[in-house]
Amino acid sequence: MALTVLICDDSLLARNQLKKSLPADFDASIVTASNGLEALAILRSTEIGLVFLDLTMPELDGVGVLEAIKAEAMDCLVIVVSADIQPEMQKRVMDLGALAFVRKPASAEKLAEVMHKYGLI
Amino acid sequence: MTTLYFTEEQRDCLQELVNVAMGQASDKLARYLDTLVHLQVPAIALVETEQLPEHFARRYPQHNASLISLGFFGDQGLRGETIMLYQLENVGVIAQLLGYDDDDSSEAEMLTDISSVLTTTFLNGLAEQLENSFSYAAPRILSSRDQHFVQKLADTASQWQLALQVDIRYQLIDYSFNCDMMLLVPGEAVLQLRQMLNKVLAGF
Repeated sequence: MALTVLICDDSLLARNQLKKSLPADFDASIVTASNGLEALAILRSTEIGLVFLDLTMPELDGVGVLEAIKAEAMDCLVIVVSADIQPEMQKRVMDLGALAFVRKPASAEKLAEVMHKYGLI
Repeated sequence: MTTLYFTEEQRDCLQELVNVAMGQASDKLARYLDTLVHLQVPAIALVETEQLPEHFARRYPQHNASLISLGFFGDQGLRGETIMLYQLENVGVIAQLLGYDDDDSSEAEMLTDISSVLTTTFLNGLAEQLENSFSYAAPRILSSRDQHFVQKLADTASQWQLALQVDIRYQLIDYSFNCDMMLLVPGEAVLQLRQMLNKVLAGF
């Protein structure tokens, strides 16, 4: 069964950019959320294998989502894709269990590199 | 004037470009101040420049605020001016953070320094995403603590047609300060900007 991937970002442009930058041979069905609360609702009701997570979002930010994923021991991988590139912030999301940090705007090459590294493609 | 407005798609696109550029500016600020900056979703709004002074007069009841201006010039007629607005109580916080003396001349120097860091990093980030490049005029102090900032803002804003109002809150771990950034652009630059946004949108 193909993986279900959640793309969570408050910007439509960023969601579309990411969708389009995923490797062509990546076999997955994609769902989207436009803030952290929407993302958590999806994560609690659907089996999601991989999340592309923005950090700066209304309602609930990406750090809040990571904390909830950790607290509820949800079984999904998270790749943070964010414009908040401060080293402290990168460290913080990695400490909260993110698989990788990709700076925005995410290039197709960088996404392929990270996904290959973790055996997702 | 309505022809200068953006579609929802263009607004979303610009907001995301601003978000990325702000991320870069915050990273610079965090390194400059050696702290972590808490980023918030930038609230952006396109308004006619004549509405700006009233907006800020309502937002800040006190008369004193410092305004620092930086002009920018890009390719394809994209040009404008950024204005950073600092309220006085925030000026004190920044001075403490950076270890500046509490006198007028060093206050001016400090605000010019921090505005340069923030606006040039922000604008370079924006230009890069638009496949443009900007050059900059030297920063100018439009208004300092003894002047009525709303009148100064009105004088400057009247030279431009449209303003991109970006409310930025740089929230630090130990101290907090807020400042506002305004991007003022002339009408023909807005038309250019719209075309550039359409080009970005067409790529996705």
